[in-house]
Amino acid sequence: MTSSEYPVYEVFGQKDRLSFHTHVGSIRAPNPEMALQMAREAFFRREAVVDIWVVPQDAIYSAARDPAYLPAIGDDKKYRLPSGYDNAPHWKRFKAKAMTIEEVAEEMTAKRR
Amino acid sequence: MEQAMQEALIRLVTPIADDEWIVGHRGSEWLGLAPELEEDLAFSSIHQDEMGHALFFYELLHALGAPDPDRQVYARPAEAWRNACFVEMPNGDWAATVVRRYCYEVFDRLRLDALTAVGFPPLRDGLKKIQREEAYHLKHFQLWMELLANGGEEARHRLDAALAAVWPTLPDLFGWGLGEAETTALGLPSARALKDAWVREVRPRFESWHLSWPNDPPSASWNGREGAHTPHLSELLNTMRAVRELAPDAPW
Amino acid sequence: MDDPIRTREFLERLERGDKIEATDWMPSEYRDLLIKQIHMHGISEIMGAYPEKEWVPKAPTIRRKLALNAKVQDEIGHGQMLLRLAEDLSRPYGRGREALMDDVIAGRVKFHNVFHMAAPTWADAGVIGFLVDGGAIITQAMLLDSSYAPYARMLKRIVAEESFHMQHGESVVLALAEGTEAQRSMLQEAINRWWEPMMFFFGPREMGRGSQRMMEYKIRTLTNEELRQKFINRYVPRVRALGLTLPDPKLKQDPATGLWEYTDPDWDWFNRMVRDNSGPMSQARIALRRFAHEEQRWVREAVRRASDELARLPGA
Repeated sequence: MTSSEYPVYEVFGQKDRLSFHTHVGSIRAPNPEMALQMAREAFFRREAVVDIWVVPQDAIYSAARDPAYLPAIGDDKKYRLPSGYDNAPHWKRFKAKAMTIEEVAEEMTAKRR
Repeated sequence: MEQAMQEALIRLVTPIADDEWIVGHRGSEWLGLAPELEEDLAFSSIHQDEMGHALFFYELLHALGAPDPDRQVYARPAEAWRNACFVEMPNGDWAATVVRRYCYEVFDRLRLDALTAVGFPPLRDGLKKIQREEAYHLKHFQLWMELLANGGEEARHRLDAALAAVWPTLPDLFGWGLGEAETTALGLPSARALKDAWVREVRPRFESWHLSWPNDPPSASWNGREGAHTPHLSELLNTMRAVRELAPDAPW
Repeated sequence: MDDPIRTREFLERLERGDKIEATDWMPSEYRDLLIKQIHMHGISEIMGAYPEKEWVPKAPTIRRKLALNAKVQDEIGHGQMLLRLAEDLSRPYGRGREALMDDVIAGRVKFHNVFHMAAPTWADAGVIGFLVDGGAIITQAMLLDSSYAPYARMLKRIVAEESFHMQHGESVVLALAEGTEAQRSMLQEAINRWWEPMMFFFGPREMGRGSQRMMEYKIRTLTNEELRQKFINRYVPRVRALGLTLPDPKLKQDPATGLWEYTDPDWDWFNRMVRDNSGPMSQARIALRRFAHEEQRWVREAVRRASDELARLPGA
């Protein structure tokens, strides 16, 4: 790297308060303060965000460098998923309806909407 | 398939399935007790993987004519289990757990690599995913060994004590549970060759971690591969079956 | 004392439905209420792993063992996520993971009453998944609307995982309900054991000052009694559908208001238990956490030291 070349910062934007920060791309900048200003103009000219993060690229330690670190999700992990269960026919046998968490979430947050 | 071949395959796969199951069971005893929350999650996933691998092997055995997986796990007497006594030993402290799991993972990788030579497509198909997960398991425990070995006095002291306790229990790990002729016929390396390969892998690591080599693993005085187990296995099986026994044939 | 102008602006933000971030200015009362709530929530998840953990080695099928394993693991995972939030909030006090966990062992943080109770049979493991998780889901679903954004965000993730817990718990309970007489009576006994603790779980009818302030700060949005009513309303019909009974002769729904009448739990007894860690299993479970945290501090110290050392090596 020549002495006039800036280091790379990865840029993350947060769309709204209830979303997680999401990676959008990267920029070059001489320091974090400038990186924030550059990121704003490079990626968020059109979309509003409530927060921006810049992270020095060399601070990122990526799993992609070794495939062993990537999760292997297969059918053998179905027991971890709600879809791995079929309780509805059993509830029906007892003349009751199966319940989903979406229903509960809706009931609990409905009042104030 | 020829009956002799079928029986040889059952004898080959049973010890592997049993090893993985018992390793998974012992690992699950650490739930909620690992030294940090993040490690608790990682450790638990690894041992769910191991039980998942056992399930794959038990299903393979079932397809070859053995009882179904739940029967294998819940209805077999201790002397019918073919896991190495090495994996049935109680966990001990974190250092002993790391040492035992590291030793097992190195062996398991060598065993899985050797298994790819067996000309039985359903086995070979399943190995790919298992090998990928095991590669991560090995890295995990190798890293733990490295960190404990460089972790200062107390860690060092505990690691030495763990090695002294775990090492004498190694010998029956390396066996296939097959006769010599059968091993060769299936295209597998001998138990001796497996053990040598294990030493070639582990010994230089120990050197880089400045751990003194406790001598080559001694030879077997008990042998889980032949169904001769320690009382720890019966104890484990009794615990495992305590609920199911209340209604062995009912759905749970 | 907080700046009254900033405090007023803060309250106006909440009024507008704005969400607060960890790095935003907040009144110290808001911060302290959040720390108390999220710390207790996180620790309850961790202590909640133990009653079910006992049943992992004994789970009666391969599938149940894997599922219960994964479920207990999730509880630890939720504890991890929530503690991270409490740690960030506690930074101005110079307190991190070690301190927040030390509090459990020193009895400085409470955890939910249900996790002080014994779980003597496999059916208890099922009923915990069914009723306790059911209650927790109702509380957590309310918190999806919390004014503290990191909490609301994390709750979204947690509630998504709870969906599996709910299915798992129901599946265990349904299998027992469809099973032999012995299995059914094991289930009935477990329900008898867990009903009163569940009535306590949502807190007193009249909320304490802290809970009221949390409502005013929109950290939470429903009263204890509203939560309890929603729980009863969902679970009483389901338990009865299974042909089982609830150990409360007073349980009755008013057809006009839809509200349920119920027998009060022994408030004093449960309050004392939670405050003094004097429940049937309080000390045994704290001992497990003491083992994990205190007796293995050497592990964390060792790997920190090793990591620093290895980073200094040439070629690292």
